[in-house]
Amino acid sequence: MNALVRYLLADVLRSQRFLAPVMVFLAVLGMLYASDAGVPLIAYAGSCVLIYPVAVWLTVVVATAEDPVRRSVTVVAAGGWGRVQGAVAMSAALCACLLALVATGVPVLTQSRPYPPEVVAQGFGAHLVCGLTGVGVGLLCARPVITRLGWGVLAATALVVLPFPLGRVPPVGSVLGALNDQRGVLPVLLVSGACALALLVIATLTATKLGPRRG
Amino acid sequence: MLGLDRIGKRYGRGPWVLRDVDLAVEPGELVVVAGGNGSGKSTLLRVAAGLTAPTTGRVRRPASVGYLPERFPAGVGLSARAYLGHLAAVRGVPARWDLLEALGFVGDDSAPMARLSKGNAQKVALVQALQATDLLVLDEPWSGLDAAAGAVLGELVATAREEGAAVLLTDHHGHDLPDARELRLTGGSPTGVVVELDRVGGLLARVSELDGVLAATAVGGGARLEVRRDASDGVLAEVLRLGCSVRSVRS
Repeated sequence: MNALVRYLLADVLRSQRFLAPVMVFLAVLGMLYASDAGVPLIAYAGSCVLIYPVAVWLTVVVATAEDPVRRSVTVVAAGGWGRVQGAVAMSAALCACLLALVATGVPVLTQSRPYPPEVVAQGFGAHLVCGLTGVGVGLLCARPVITRLGWGVLAATALVVLPFPLGRVPPVGSVLGALNDQRGVLPVLLVSGACALALLVIATLTATKLGPRRG
Repeated sequence: MLGLDRIGKRYGRGPWVLRDVDLAVEPGELVVVAGGNGSGKSTLLRVAAGLTAPTTGRVRRPASVGYLPERFPAGVGLSARAYLGHLAAVRGVPARWDLLEALGFVGDDSAPMARLSKGNAQKVALVQALQATDLLVLDEPWSGLDAAAGAVLGELVATAREEGAAVLLTDHHGHDLPDARELRLTGGSPTGVVVELDRVGGLLARVSELDGVLAATAVGGGARLEVRRDASDGVLAEVLRLGCSVRSVRS
């Protein structure tokens, strides 16, 4: 599995298609923290809104870096769709972790307000939950689940916008709510984290199931 | 060992691409899948390699399978060296640079594969497939190779068979492959009606000579007949008169 993750990440790095989402992420993060961003947890809520769609985009990039023919070669070499989809999910989750680290660390380094460790830890947890939710959504919007790019983009847009009208529904809505309230973050993170992981597992299983049918 | 047991494949509600395909390939055996354009050769290979789930039937396949697609994609950013190294690591085996050399790879193996010629990219794709040990599924492996590399590929396939690999391939060029078996596909629409019989016993020879019977194979104490469509009624009447029992009739 490690070799497979290394291969997928090396291929994504080579393809340079990761650049667009990463640039958007860094640019918006820069705008958020160019001046005083306000109370730390509320500032983190802003970058949580950002990391969610960027993680969706980056996951679609990771999942589709190989074209379908090369993916077929990888699936046979790895010994089945399950292993490849598992590795795709792990690779995308690693990317989401990296984004979460950056989004949590940038204000600590650039803002003049104090960022105590427990606030930073809560912020990292919140970014991780929103990022992993993005990975799950991204897996559901990419091949082999949705094979047409246009439908994939439409589905991703709909799923990215969905948490906002829904209000405080886990995983994303309730995390944003708790950060804005600046209290009760930890229990919300536990519930939402479990939901994000469940979504990730369901998305991976769905892709594993659909891969051999669409193939 | 590869075993395909009455494989059928259709996409959604579309027409049948494959229907009732039976095949067993033992270690060291080579089977050439033949048939016209659109007869389902590539689909059968994808089913055998485990890429596509059959709509009906069952597949048994060994652990280490190598697959060569009909057209290896052109725009790969990784270098040949990196690609082969990664795929060998995925299999947990050492990369076979020697095979790449034997095939006469020309070009920069550290430059992006997108810059390689079709023939050289095909050699890289072949080597990644040949890194498997149990079953090789090769879709048009000679496509894009020059005569010298083609001859080497023939030897490499023979060596793989000697080492116990089962080989399933398609070949438009009609290469001379020693003791190869042929599996001819007719596409999703078989030429006739399939009749399954019980209580055939010693009558198989007589049944197989009836007018309109295209093929007859013994299955246990019964038989499976492929019958010309326009002669099916006559054949059914005759086998019943002979005392056989009709288990199923499918078209």
